[in-house]
Amino acid sequence: MSLRLAGLGWVTPLGSGLDEVWEKLRAGAEAEPTPLESSLGKKGCLAFNVPPAAVADAARLPRLRRSSAISRFAVTAGLRALSDAGLGLDESSAARTALVFAISNGGVVYTKRFYHEIVQQGAAAASPLLFPETVFNAPASHLAALLGITGASYTLVGDGAVAILALQMAENLMANPMLDRCLVVGAEEADWLLCDAYRKWRLLRTAPPIEPFAPQPRGMILSEGAGAVVLARDGSLLLEKVHPGGSFAQQNKLAGQLEAICEQLRDNGEMDVMLASANGTFVDAAEMAAAQKYFSGAAIYTPKPALGEGVAAGTMWQFICAALALRRQELPPLLHAPKSCLTIASAPTEKPWQCAIVTACGLNQQVAGCVLRT
Amino acid sequence: MEKTKAPTLSPSLNPYGRLVPNKHGIPGIRGYVGGVAGEHLGKTHRVAVVAAGIVSPLGRGLAMTAEALRAGRDCVTPMQRFPVDQCRCTTAGQVDDRLLADVLPNDCRARRLHRASQMTIAALTDLLEQAPGFAPQLTVVGTTSGGMSFGEQYYRSLQRPGACTAQAPGWIANYPPQKAALDALAVLGLMSPCQVIANACASGTNAIGHAFECIRSGRYDRVLTGGYDALSELVFVGFDSLQAATPEKCRPFDASRTGLVLGEGAALLALENLTQAEARGAEVLAEISGYGISTDNHHLTQPHPSGIGPRKAMERALRSADLEPDTIDYVNAHGTATPFNDAAEGKAIADLLGKVPVSSTKSMMGHSLGAAGAVEAVFTILALRQGFLPPNINFRALGPEFDLDVVANKARPASARAALSNSFGFGGTNASIAIQAHSR
Repeated sequence: MSLRLAGLGWVTPLGSGLDEVWEKLRAGAEAEPTPLESSLGKKGCLAFNVPPAAVADAARLPRLRRSSAISRFAVTAGLRALSDAGLGLDESSAARTALVFAISNGGVVYTKRFYHEIVQQGAAAASPLLFPETVFNAPASHLAALLGITGASYTLVGDGAVAILALQMAENLMANPMLDRCLVVGAEEADWLLCDAYRKWRLLRTAPPIEPFAPQPRGMILSEGAGAVVLARDGSLLLEKVHPGGSFAQQNKLAGQLEAICEQLRDNGEMDVMLASANGTFVDAAEMAAAQKYFSGAAIYTPKPALGEGVAAGTMWQFICAALALRRQELPPLLHAPKSCLTIASAPTEKPWQCAIVTACGLNQQVAGCVLRT
Repeated sequence: MEKTKAPTLSPSLNPYGRLVPNKHGIPGIRGYVGGVAGEHLGKTHRVAVVAAGIVSPLGRGLAMTAEALRAGRDCVTPMQRFPVDQCRCTTAGQVDDRLLADVLPNDCRARRLHRASQMTIAALTDLLEQAPGFAPQLTVVGTTSGGMSFGEQYYRSLQRPGACTAQAPGWIANYPPQKAALDALAVLGLMSPCQVIANACASGTNAIGHAFECIRSGRYDRVLTGGYDALSELVFVGFDSLQAATPEKCRPFDASRTGLVLGEGAALLALENLTQAEARGAEVLAEISGYGISTDNHHLTQPHPSGIGPRKAMERALRSADLEPDTIDYVNAHGTATPFNDAAEGKAIADLLGKVPVSSTKSMMGHSLGAAGAVEAVFTILALRQGFLPPNINFRALGPEFDLDVVANKARPASARAALSNSFGFGGTNASIAIQAHSR
C-alpha cells in the first residue's frame, strides 16, 4: 500500500495556521503556559492551551455551539487539512472519504463536569446535554456531520501511539477501492484533572521548560489541540511504512520494543530526519538509544518543548513536522536539549532530505512508528 | 483526485455546514449515494471464525451461554455495583464475579486489574483453549468506556479531604479504555498491535467488521477481534439522564417498551483466512461474510426516524457478503427497546428484509455497549450452529408501527444459514455484519 500525503492541518497552543505555527517553531517560539485551577481546592497546574482565536470560526458553527473544545480543535484541523489538499467535499466525494480519529483522553472537560454534578448533587442532577459530548466518538461525529461523510468513521483510543495506529487503520481502509481518501485526525483537550493524574503518575513538571533527552527526566507539560492529515492515492509525500508496534508491559521494556520497530522501519536505509516523541519523561532515554543506534546521521527534532505534550494530537504534530521538514527541507531548532549527545541539524548539509521517521512512545504501554519519504 | 473549491471556515460560506436534502427529501441529513465507503467490493478471501470466548450475564463460555440463550433466561438483576437510588432505572445485566475467579488466581496483579480487564482475560483464555497457538497479526476490539469506574474512584478520592491517594496511580494507569485489551494480550502472552475502536455502542460490530475486512483484503491472515465493557456509574447515570433507561423490563419492539437496561461483558473471536484455517484442519464455527457501516449525521444520540442509517448499514453488509435480502434467516437486532431506536431499526428491517425472524438478546442481559456487537455476534454464531433462534424475552405485544416477525419469549428451532447482527451508536454510527454457517 503506498498512500500519499495530500493535506495537513493543525491546531496548537501556538496557533492554527500551517505556516504561522511552522514559522513560530522555526523562530524558536514556545507556547505560554496557562494556569489551570482546580475546582476542588487542590493545587493548580500549568498547561499549554489553544488560544481561542485559533478556533474562532469553528466555535461559530451551529453544530458546535454546545460541543467541547476538543471537537472545535478537531473540526478546525480537519477542515484546514482538506483546504491544504485543495479539496472541497461534495456529496459524491464525501461518500468516498473515510474518517479516522485518534483520541487518548477525549472530552475530559465535559466528562469531569458531568461526573462532578453526580458526585456533588446526585444522579438526579446529571445533565442530559453534557453526557453525549463525553462519548469518545463525539468529535468524529461532529466532523462527519459537517463534512457529510456517510460511510466509514472510526474513533480509535489509546495513548500517544494511537495516532500511528490510526494511520495504520487508514492504510487498511484504503485497501478498499471504493475509497479515495482518508482524513486522519488526532485531538485532545487539557484539563486540571488530567494534569493531576499525570502529576500523580510522576510524569508532569510544575513549570516549563520541557527538556527532551535530559540525563534526568524532569517531566512534561500537558497541552491540547489537534492535528489532521489527508491520506490519498496522490500527494507530495509517500507514507512509506507504518509500524503499529505493540505494547510494553513495563517501562524497562520500551527501549527493546522501540529498537525492534526502528530496525524494521529502517530496513537498512538511511534516515535523514527523526521526529521523536521525547517529552522530558522516561520515553526520552529509549528514543535517544534508538536514535544513536539506528539514525546517528539523522537530524532529530521534537516539537514538545514548544507545543507541550499533546498525546494523540501531539503525535499528529510530530507527523506534520516530519512532512513539513521534507517539504521545506528545514527543521526548527530543538529546544532545551543537551546538544552534546545528539546530532542536531536544522537543514540538510550535503544532500536533500528524503526520508523521515516518526516515533511515538506512549505513556501507557503503546509504541509505534512510521516513515515518510519524498 | 478532485481539485475543487477549497473549504472555508466562514459559517455563511462553509460548504460543509449546509444541510442538503437527500433523495427522500428529508431535511437535516445528507443524501446517500450507492457504492460508497461503507462497503468493500474488492472481495478476495473468505473469513472464518475459528474460536470464540465470551463472558456475559448469561454465563461464561459457549456451552453455558448457549444453554441460557436457548432457555431465554432473564439475567437482568437489581444493580449491585454502585448506588442507583436516584435513577429511574435500578437494574442491569451483571457478570457474576464467580465467573472471573480463575483470572490470575494467586497473582497480585489481579487486584490491580479492572473488571473490564478481568472479563477480557477470561474471554481470551477460553478462546485460546479452543485455538491453542492462535497468534494474531492484529487485534481490533471495541469498547466505550473500558475501566471508567477506576477513573470514578480517582475523582471521588479527590473530593474527600485527607483521603489516602496511594491507589491513585494504579487507578489512573488502569482506567484508560484500551487497557483491558492490552492487559489481556500481555497476560496471555500475545504480541500484536492493538486497535481499540470507540464508536459508542457500535464499537464491537465495527471491530469485527474491520477485522473481517483486514483478512478479506488479503492484508492479514489472523486477526483477534471482539469487544468489552464493564458497568460504570458515569455511563449508567448518563443513560438514565437521557431517559433512555427504563425502570421496567427491557421489552424490545414491544408496544409498551420504555427503554433499555445496561449490561456488561466481553467477547472475543479469532478470525482467520478460511483457506488457511481449513488447510490446518481447524474447526470453523462460522464465516463472517459481510460488513456494512454508515453514519447518519442526524443527531448525537438519536437515529434518523426514517431508519436510513440502519438500512444503509444492512444493505451494505448484504452487498459486501453478496447476499440477497431473502437469504437472511435471522436478524440479531440492536433492539435497545428505546422508542426511537426500535422504531428506526424496525422500519429498516421490515423495509429491507420483510418478515424475517428478529430478536434482541438485550432483553436477556441488557445493553453491554462496546461489548454488545461482539457478544451478539457470538450469540448469532451459536444460533446458526445449534439450530435455534434466541428469544426476545419480556415481550407482550408487537408495537403497532412494526411489521416484524419477533421471536417472542421462547427460542425457536430453526436451521438458519445466514444472519445479520446489528449495532448502532451515539454519533449516528451504524454497523451490521453478515454471519453465515460454514459450508465448504
